[in-house]
Amino acid sequence: MATEAHAHPTTRQYVQVAILLAVLTAVEVALFYIDESLDLRGWDGPLLIILSTMKFVIVVGWFMHLRFEKGLLSRFFSAGFALAMGLYAVVLAALGVLIIRG
Amino acid sequence: MTATSARPTTSIYVRPHPKTGIWSWITTVDHKRIGILYGYSAFVFFIFGGIEALLLRIQLSAPNNEFLTAAEYNALFTTHGLTMVFLFVMPVTAGFMNYLLPLMIGARDVAFPRMNALSYWIWLAGAIFTYSVIFFADVTPPIGVEGFAGSLDPSDQTFLGGLPDGGWFLYQPNAGPYFSPGTAIDFGALGLQILGIASLISAVNFLTTIFNMRAKGMRLLRMPVFVWMTMVVAFLLLFSLPIIAVALFMVTFDRSFGATFFQAVSGGDPILWQHLFWLFGHPEVYILILPSMGIVSEVLPVFSKKPLFGYAAVVFAGAGIAFLGFGVWAHHMFASGITPVAQAAFGLSTMTIAIPTGIKIFNWVFTMWGGRIRFTTPMLFAIGFVSMFVIGGLSGVTHSIVPSDWQQTDTYYIVAHFHYVLFGGAIFGIFAGLYYWFPKLTGRVMSEKLGKLHFWVQFIGFNLTFAPMHWLGLQGMVRRTWKYAPENNFGPWNLAVSVGAFIIAFSILIFMFNWMYSKRKGRPSGLDPWDARTIEWSIPNPTPEYNFAIPPVIHSLDEFWHMKYTEDEEGRAVRRPDADDVIARLEHDGNNPKSPIHLPNPSYFPFIMAVGLPLIAFGIIYHLSAAGKALIVVGATITIGALLGWGMEPLEEPHEAHHDDHADHAGAEDEDASHHEEVD
Amino acid sequence: MALAHDAPIAHHDEHESTGISNTKLGMWIFLSSEFLFFGALITNYLLYGNGDFAGTVPREVYDIPFTSVSSFVLLMSSLTMVLAHHALSVNDQAGTKTWLLATALLGAVFLGGQVFEFTEFIVEKDMTLTTNPASSAFFMLTGFHGAHVAIGVLMLLSLFNIARRQGGLSEHSGMNLELVGLYWHFVDIIWIVIFTLVYLLSAV
Repeated sequence: MATEAHAHPTTRQYVQVAILLAVLTAVEVALFYIDESLDLRGWDGPLLIILSTMKFVIVVGWFMHLRFEKGLLSRFFSAGFALAMGLYAVVLAALGVLIIRG
Repeated sequence: MTATSARPTTSIYVRPHPKTGIWSWITTVDHKRIGILYGYSAFVFFIFGGIEALLLRIQLSAPNNEFLTAAEYNALFTTHGLTMVFLFVMPVTAGFMNYLLPLMIGARDVAFPRMNALSYWIWLAGAIFTYSVIFFADVTPPIGVEGFAGSLDPSDQTFLGGLPDGGWFLYQPNAGPYFSPGTAIDFGALGLQILGIASLISAVNFLTTIFNMRAKGMRLLRMPVFVWMTMVVAFLLLFSLPIIAVALFMVTFDRSFGATFFQAVSGGDPILWQHLFWLFGHPEVYILILPSMGIVSEVLPVFSKKPLFGYAAVVFAGAGIAFLGFGVWAHHMFASGITPVAQAAFGLSTMTIAIPTGIKIFNWVFTMWGGRIRFTTPMLFAIGFVSMFVIGGLSGVTHSIVPSDWQQTDTYYIVAHFHYVLFGGAIFGIFAGLYYWFPKLTGRVMSEKLGKLHFWVQFIGFNLTFAPMHWLGLQGMVRRTWKYAPENNFGPWNLAVSVGAFIIAFSILIFMFNWMYSKRKGRPSGLDPWDARTIEWSIPNPTPEYNFAIPPVIHSLDEFWHMKYTEDEEGRAVRRPDADDVIARLEHDGNNPKSPIHLPNPSYFPFIMAVGLPLIAFGIIYHLSAAGKALIVVGATITIGALLGWGMEPLEEPHEAHHDDHADHAGAEDEDASHHEEVD
Repeated sequence: MALAHDAPIAHHDEHESTGISNTKLGMWIFLSSEFLFFGALITNYLLYGNGDFAGTVPREVYDIPFTSVSSFVLLMSSLTMVLAHHALSVNDQAGTKTWLLATALLGAVFLGGQVFEFTEFIVEKDMTLTTNPASSAFFMLTGFHGAHVAIGVLMLLSLFNIARRQGGLSEHSGMNLELVGLYWHFVDIIWIVIFTLVYLLSAV
């Protein structure tokens, strides 16, 4: 922990990141409630997924520090994530939940 | 970035340091001893699995036989599969990987020695827990089944009827609470869960070791193929075990807590089980075969006196097989009602696996081509691997053609396929490795006469047993069925198959005798009995406790070979004039380290922690009773307590810090030798 | 140079071929496998969660405001976790202890919220583990996530305890703090996914 010589974010930056996360969460919750009046026509689902992906990436990159670590760790992490997404997408498609058009 | 040096100065825990006796085995964190523990334990279960197979074959040796009841037959083929896969092939290959991995990369141990011990003890706990079903299962017969061929009277069922009997794949809802009431399946499901934890821990350990603990100069593409296969297997375990863990939790919740994940009557989907099981199950079969492929990739070059043909291709093909292996699972479900699109997709992906597999086969053959072949016992088994695996692979490719597979499914043709790849492949490879690396464990060589006898008897017995299953299956003989009618005329070949099975059993007895005999009376091997290529052979036999007296520096692939040989103008290997001096020097220096060597201290906690898990599992099975609830609490307390103790254990004993191995080494060697006798 | 926990030591020259410590590498490798674990549970929920079954189904009983607050609490616990790590890196032992305790407390609050939510579902809304596949899938997913949080809280408290008893965390224990932090953040990102897929998308 104490040996890698790279820039740690400062306390201030960490708090800023946390505020960003809180704001994103608030937007998500707002989307949940106001999608009808905004007539988003089905966009609220993808938007929610985009927002949560942003939160995911921010926590992994800054709080888990992956942005500042050696690439090997990102590769391991992404490999697990990509494999899970791929395999389970196929399972859901095979079971008729995820409909693949065309 | 300094923190205050707040190490615990007093500790209620003192690290144990026994050198001899059973405590030295229970507290060991030495990867070599852990490998030996895996190997011997796995072999015991090999015998159990073999006996199960022989009982099955006695039942099938004649039509309409009544040697076993249907319930007993179902129980035996289930436990035969579970035993051979999880309690033999996986732990014995784990034994190889444990023993050899640090030696092949020039390290003194794995990254996490205590976790390594934990893997073994958890595995053993899971194995014993699973087999304890013999004593604990209640024999409630299946309910609501019309025309059930066995006896519904509990007093008619021997203890065999109380074993898990839903097949090793535990298909739902057959192995669910309605059709398999009672506790036998739970022992299988929870036992597998425990075993899975052991392998997952090993996977994390091996990956960290391979990435982080290579000797200087040991770049990834200079590692022996066996190490690459260990890495690939670890990735397969890492990513497939969590899937089966969830599936097993779901089945346990269905059976014990009333959930309805797979029970169709409540809206659950039995096909979901098949997907989750085979998402794990298919990578699992590559986990079973890749270590043997690694062994063969080490053995063939040594006994052909040629480098492995196309090293990089063999490595990348291994990785390719693993990667593609994640994409083919539903080929086990072609007859389960998946859509035509899914069938086509998975049929195609299954065919593509033949490509990297074929690359490896060609490279092995080209390795031998033009080499100066020595037909030693390990070489015979390695060549046996290549040829038998090709046969098994060919039948496998025929399964990838969906309409053909519909005819083959649930027949003996499938049984023939997987036994050719798993026995003719994985197990022949394992024997090649056992004969090849025996000197590293014992400092002696196994008897060549007995070895060749073992090989030929096993080869004949194996082919007599499994070749006829191809045509029996194509003629329509159904698998997982306790008896067959005489009208189909399956009798004669089934009798031949059963005879073959007993011939295999006899060959194993030859092997066991050879092992025991050679440990005591085998010819001393010296440092380099095979004129080998890789650095595990550059240290004395039996392997010193500290492995390398001086960490090696690596300059190329097959580093040890290049210490002994150079090349002439035509690129042929020429033995260096000083090669014998090099070997003598390596032997001397390897036995006499110049300065003290720290080794990780032994520990009680892995053993203790492992004990808690089967207690929790028993508690889950009997959770409706007070005793069951108490067991869960006790088991959890032991496991968590041991984990805390482990965390607070000092890393090294201060007074051990400058333990002088030099004077003790001669004594340690004798102790190691006497340990092998004790384990017998 | 950080000595990897439990690594064999030869002449005190320790090298890690990748330049990453053994324990850190090991933890990241383990976490990458957890995607497959939670992925299976999430897939299970996606399969059953929105189906039509007899009995109460989860999407009928969600209390989004309550769960939003829980989610916010867990997110903030990631902040306190990273502040604990930062404090240790500048040798602020008092700050380390404070932020460790704060993280454990926020985690416990999250767990308390889960327990409250589950109790309401079981007792008042008549939705239990066994009601139907949808409820089973819900409780499995959130239950295993909660178990992971609970294990995290235990680890945080034992780190806090070690710091309190020893007057601070050593370099060795500091590595443990980083590892517990990685685990904690991972559990948080799984919740980020669950909150969206299970709760917020239930109305879609």
